Amino acid sequence: MRIVVCVKEVLDPDAVNNYALAGRLEIGEDGKSLTQTTIPRLMNGFDEQALEAALRLRDAGAECRIGVVSVGSDPATILKHAAALGADEIAAVMMEEPSPDYHVVATLLSSYLSTSGGADIILCGRQASDDDQGVVPALICEALGIPLVTNARAVELMQAAGETALRITRVTPDGDEVVEVSCPAVVTVSNELGEPRYPTAAKKIAARRMKPEIVTAESLSLSAEKLRPRVVALRQFVPTVSGNCEFVDGETPAELASALIARLRQESVIS
Amino acid sequence: MTEAKPVVVCTWSESQGEFPVGAEEALTLGRKVANALGTRLHWLVLGTLPETGMETAGRFGADGVDQIEDAALEAFSADVYLNALAGYCRQESPMLVVFSQSVETRLVAPRLAGRLEAGVLMNGVDIVAGDDGGLQATASAYGGDTQVVYELSGAACYVFALAANALQAEPAEGGPTQPGCRSISSDLGGVEDRIRVVEEARTEGPRLEDADVIVSGGRGLGGPENYGLIERLAEALGGLAGASRPLVDEGWVDSSQQVGLTGKITRPALYLAAGISGASQHMAGCSAAKTIVAINKDPDAAIFRYARFGIVGDCLEILPELIQAAKQ
Repeated sequence: MRIVVCVKEVLDPDAVNNYALAGRLEIGEDGKSLTQTTIPRLMNGFDEQALEAALRLRDAGAECRIGVVSVGSDPATILKHAAALGADEIAAVMMEEPSPDYHVVATLLSSYLSTSGGADIILCGRQASDDDQGVVPALICEALGIPLVTNARAVELMQAAGETALRITRVTPDGDEVVEVSCPAVVTVSNELGEPRYPTAAKKIAARRMKPEIVTAESLSLSAEKLRPRVVALRQFVPTVSGNCEFVDGETPAELASALIARLRQESVIS
Repeated sequence: MTEAKPVVVCTWSESQGEFPVGAEEALTLGRKVANALGTRLHWLVLGTLPETGMETAGRFGADGVDQIEDAALEAFSADVYLNALAGYCRQESPMLVVFSQSVETRLVAPRLAGRLEAGVLMNGVDIVAGDDGGLQATASAYGGDTQVVYELSGAACYVFALAANALQAEPAEGGPTQPGCRSISSDLGGVEDRIRVVEEARTEGPRLEDADVIVSGGRGLGGPENYGLIERLAEALGGLAGASRPLVDEGWVDSSQQVGLTGKITRPALYLAAGISGASQHMAGCSAAKTIVAINKDPDAAIFRYARFGIVGDCLEILPELIQAAKQ
């Protein structure tokens, strides 16, 4: 059985957030990218959890090869991280554009998946922490004509009578839902899956020697027409939030509290 | 001359008979784009049209209401809904399909785009039509820390999901329209969802999504033992208790209580945030609240930029007093 995990390199979202909270997030002269060059680049957290889900399937006894693929201009670093965590094969789909359109990414990934021997289980993070779009897994499922299960917190393998299926616990607004789906299928993983493991030092060293398979649009025989973007980023900006907060007066906590409750009643926010 | 392709707003009710959440906001945006491009606005309703549906359609300037009513659409199923939608789009060739973003539309919208070879954008904030008839769309990124403007060109159709807090619903200018209602036939008999539900989600008690009052706690609470203050204040105000993501990650509260981008998207009348810094990722789940109240030690905390009322102080000191005051 082959499991393929799709991963994306992103700017550390916590670092971006700290700049934003401090009001120091800035966009560079190109009008598109963040100027903070000190922000580390790492594997999207949800994707790391998708890889963790794959590793847990193997830990639970699934006989499988785990492949990890990433689209980007230089995905080698996160792919080596994936190898250190336990990926058996790593593939880099080279793309010059720093943030190619989602349709292009999905076309490259689906084409890679179907020409590299296919996959029984395709795992992705629920969304990338940079653009938050979460559309690539859905586009892959449609391109390959296979089902999509989103927001998994647990993934279990069910094998019976030569049939491979998955039992997935999904996080929904109404609580957890348990579903079953036959393979092949695309599954997106949510943060509720829990902490991903850390690579050991020995595995990190071994992973340094692992070279990713290099894949290009040409090697996938994809024409320029197929890779024409549909959604093109023109500019990025930091939105301003209009602050008109009325700070409640009072000397003591009790005074502040009763002043706030009084204001909320006055404005009919509470009764 | 061929008629310009329509703009379609697509909604369904999360539970039978309820008005679909976010429909008015999506219709507001749909009307604006249709006006700018000189085309029609259609409201596509999957399942039963809510009782006040036709009146709402007129108030928000829809030129027509299209309804697909089929027993197969009674409960949500991604594969079945997608089949109905794709069939409709192939017949009507819309240039733009607008959804209100929810967990369900997050699943359906991008798949529809894939099936129609359309372009897709989620977390949408706005769409502006240029003089040349081209569309530019804005969507939030980094959980709302930034916004990105995209050019939508190269595909015959676009699918767009409008985020919960993106804009205010506004009735159409020039008074209500008198839209007609078409019943669209669909053949969904043979469509079965490839995903089998073996254990349904059971909501335990009321949902944050439906709450009128939410009191949420964050890191400022210091430790899990203090989360009881949040629950007691929520109870005193007749509301529900929520939390920011760090509390869920630390295991203080269950993930069903997480408010934010990857948690619950709420729209309460009152959202009281205690000890929460106000990261965009959290605000994505509560900035649609009518009134936000913030309690934070740091007078420069980002949460005060969103709040209508604020108290600068230690939430551990303020919360017990608020519980008292709310009970009086």
